[in-house]
Amino acid sequence: MVNLRPRGPRRVLPIGPVVDQEDEREESDSEEEEADLEFPDGGPTMETVEEEEEEDEDENEAPEELTFASAQAEAKKDERRLRDALLRDKQLLKEKRKRREELFAEQKKRKLLPATLLEELTAAPQTIIKESLPRLGKGNTESENQEKKEEKMFRTRVKKRYVACRLKDQDLIDLRQQAAKGFIQKYLYGRGSNRTTVNQFLSLDNKRLPVKKPAVQFVNNNWGAERKQSAKKFKKQWMHKKKLASRRPNIT
Amino acid sequence: MKLTWRRSPYEPLAQRWPLVPWPGQKLVEIELGVRWGPPESPSRILVPVSDIHVQRARSGFAPGMGEFKVHRVRFFNYVPVGIRCMAYNHQSHRLAVSRSDGTVEIYNLAANSFQEKFFPGHEGRSTEAMCWTKGQRLFSAGLNGDVIEYDLEKLSVKYSVDGFGGPIWSMAADPSGSYLAIGCEDGSVKLFHVAPDKIQLERTLERQKGRILSLSWHPSGTHIAAGSIDYVAVLDVKSGSTTQKMLMDRRHPGPHRRRCVVWGVAFLSDGTVVSTDSAGVVQFWDSETGTLMQTHPLSNSDVLSIAVAEKEDSMVVGTAEGTIFHFQLIASRSDGKQSQWVRTKPFQHHTHDVRCVAHSPTALISGGVDAHLVIRPLMEKVEVKNYDAALRKITFPHRRLISCAKKMQLLLFQFPQRLELWRLGATEAAGKNEDILPLSRNAEHLLQLKKKGPENICCSCISPCGSWIAYSTASRFYLYRMNYENNSVSIKRVSKVPKLLNSALQILFSADSTKLFVASNQGSLHVIQLSEGALKHLHSFPPQSGTSEATTLLAASPDGSWLAAAGPSSGVSVYDLKHLKPHCTVPAYNFPVTALAIAPGTNNLVIAHSDQQVFEFSIPQKQYTDWSRKVQKQGLHYLWLERDTPITHITFHPQKPTHILLHDTYMFCIIDKSMPLPDDKTPLFNQPSLREASENVRRRHAHAFKISKKFQPLLFMDLLDEDTLVAVERPLEDILAQLPPPIKRKKFGT
Repeated sequence: MVNLRPRGPRRVLPIGPVVDQEDEREESDSEEEEADLEFPDGGPTMETVEEEEEEDEDENEAPEELTFASAQAEAKKDERRLRDALLRDKQLLKEKRKRREELFAEQKKRKLLPATLLEELTAAPQTIIKESLPRLGKGNTESENQEKKEEKMFRTRVKKRYVACRLKDQDLIDLRQQAAKGFIQKYLYGRGSNRTTVNQFLSLDNKRLPVKKPAVQFVNNNWGAERKQSAKKFKKQWMHKKKLASRRPNIT
Repeated sequence: MKLTWRRSPYEPLAQRWPLVPWPGQKLVEIELGVRWGPPESPSRILVPVSDIHVQRARSGFAPGMGEFKVHRVRFFNYVPVGIRCMAYNHQSHRLAVSRSDGTVEIYNLAANSFQEKFFPGHEGRSTEAMCWTKGQRLFSAGLNGDVIEYDLEKLSVKYSVDGFGGPIWSMAADPSGSYLAIGCEDGSVKLFHVAPDKIQLERTLERQKGRILSLSWHPSGTHIAAGSIDYVAVLDVKSGSTTQKMLMDRRHPGPHRRRCVVWGVAFLSDGTVVSTDSAGVVQFWDSETGTLMQTHPLSNSDVLSIAVAEKEDSMVVGTAEGTIFHFQLIASRSDGKQSQWVRTKPFQHHTHDVRCVAHSPTALISGGVDAHLVIRPLMEKVEVKNYDAALRKITFPHRRLISCAKKMQLLLFQFPQRLELWRLGATEAAGKNEDILPLSRNAEHLLQLKKKGPENICCSCISPCGSWIAYSTASRFYLYRMNYENNSVSIKRVSKVPKLLNSALQILFSADSTKLFVASNQGSLHVIQLSEGALKHLHSFPPQSGTSEATTLLAASPDGSWLAAAGPSSGVSVYDLKHLKPHCTVPAYNFPVTALAIAPGTNNLVIAHSDQQVFEFSIPQKQYTDWSRKVQKQGLHYLWLERDTPITHITFHPQKPTHILLHDTYMFCIIDKSMPLPDDKTPLFNQPSLREASENVRRRHAHAFKISKKFQPLLFMDLLDEDTLVAVERPLEDILAQLPPPIKRKKFGT
């Protein structure tokens, strides 16, 4: 018979068959009786039951009763624990984000300063704009000239957002006309249209001839352009390396 | 430079694509400006540089008389622009054709379908519709929102009126010719009143939901049918309201559910509206009730255009696959009471979309993206079964686009938007007939001159010495001075141009490159003296009294004393340059002039007309020469008269005064005036057979017209010096390779 692994604590089952109230007599008998003929040694449940019997002799019948209140309290405790954990995680993330933002702002500040100097060199003088420049907090320690330069640079940068263009040039690039042309392109050459290349079109006749011929443009020299380029570069590098290696004296 | 793959032994010799080089030929890669289709379509094509052939052009009595070295040039990357719309004028039998770059050409169908008039295009214009109104007035409308009227006398744009509706998609003139209806992007149909001097917006009919892509008037002028996306609306002209709206059901085949675009619509006098849409069906609707009467599914791709004959018993539709279908009204009962529209004949003459069709009384005319203009005469309408009943396909231009500077061996190619200057290659080798000589120096692309401004180039010319280049657009004239030192070329613009030179229809330099002749679009001819420093205006010949027609052709005599000018329908006028006054006028002929040239020495003016007649007029004596009278009396050979393409260039041999060299697209001919003329019974193209024949046979059968068909299709042919010719060819396959993608055709077994 199969010897199953010992199972954990569980409810104790009566050895005999569970009978109805009608057979109360048999109940008492069953307790006294030994196990079935099928399990002469007592079966798989024998040993554990014996152990448990020693421990929980009182709890033969009904399972333990838990009150609703205790279960509710337990559930609430779990929930609270989860909530706290989530909150903690959120706080951690927030702090992390804050720290990163500050780091970026600092980096930007650091980067901006040399750029402003360069712009000041190329920009024309503009009228004075009175603005508070919190970004230049770092530059406050520098001399006054530099501050003025930065202000000027800031001014020119603001003006550069506008670009002048002639209406005469814009005349030919009419947006409506472009939209109209796009409509034609979409309906005649767009997604659902059954178009093919001129090469395939002309090659169709070649395939039906009694002596079959290749396509009109059989070799496409544009395939793998990048790979060819990288191969060329590699070849040049390799040759250069070999040249250098041959020049260098081999000291052994 | 690299050589490509070899030809397989089974390929027929006529195959030219992929460009297989002759042994020893070098190929140059040219980058194409426009990429069409998926990335694997070629963006670079291989074009051979010129190589040099030796060919015995003809065999005369004197051996070696007709041996020439021929520069065979194929690097002129001419690609004709696709045809977008056309309009047929019943009164004058003229066809106005507009291309996608805004160029308008007028073909005279009664004069052997010759392209008489030409209006250069404009970058901002993209014509979508054209129509004729009463009094031979031509209007066009396009996506830039303007309605343009063309001045057919002066060959320029008269004026343009804004339609105020956004891009204009369609235009139709009412049967009485006094109103013009345009269909706009915003869904409105606007009516213009056609006044004698200009057009005026009268009113707007009820605005529809989508853009109006096609329009058609009812023959009585009371209703208009407007086709848009997914529906066709019938509008009442008087009240402006929509009387009927016919909805298309979205039966678009294929997985992509696209909306059904009604590309063409036609209104018949019995109230039937015919609509052609992008689902590939032609549907007949009853405009009173708005019900569908008949539907003809034609193809899986769009049906793009429709045209109805004047008598309304036949119509033609064009599809995106290049097929045109002929519908006829056939009596379904023997007593002829009931008749039905039946689809009778399909014609496949195009490879790409057929974007416009027209119906003349005897022929079906179609034009499309592949830039062929196909005129298919209908057999049942043709009275006399002669050569006129044959199919006409016009692909190559009827004007000269190439000028040659003979001494410097330079060629100037005129494209619509730029000019290219090439120097021909050279060879030192010698050979016998039909040899291909190797080049010692390859042809070089010296200069590319892009046009300034949005207008396309109308005409251009290079002086015979090669140091002046002039070109003109519709509103400005440009002149450049060239300098050739060692191997480099430098160009400088001449800015001080006289004010009267604002635009030119034709430009010509005199033979000694000291004078410039400009035919302006006001009708007058200007003579300008060229010098290093500045230009001096010498004289202006006013337009001939009686006609204020623009000049389309100019010819100058090599000794610099005569100038001939020809217009589309007037006679050729000859001017005396020594005394600066008009000399005489050649009597007008009822067919337009296609080429003009003045012979050196004898000063005979040779004129070629579009019905293939050739005249020779002696300028000093002011009368036709004896040879010309002889030719007229005997008449030209019937095969000569049956040629399709017009003669575009005439030139002469300086040492042989009896020779006239001329060419058209498919042949090159030397006329020897001293030899007998052929009559209808002798074979005209007998040069190849005569070459092998014995001396006696040659003497008996040789005649004046020595024709060679070796170089085809020819765009230009000229004599560089005594024994060198230059032939600029443009094979059709090279043009085909650069066209937009066509519709896929599924063939069984591929």
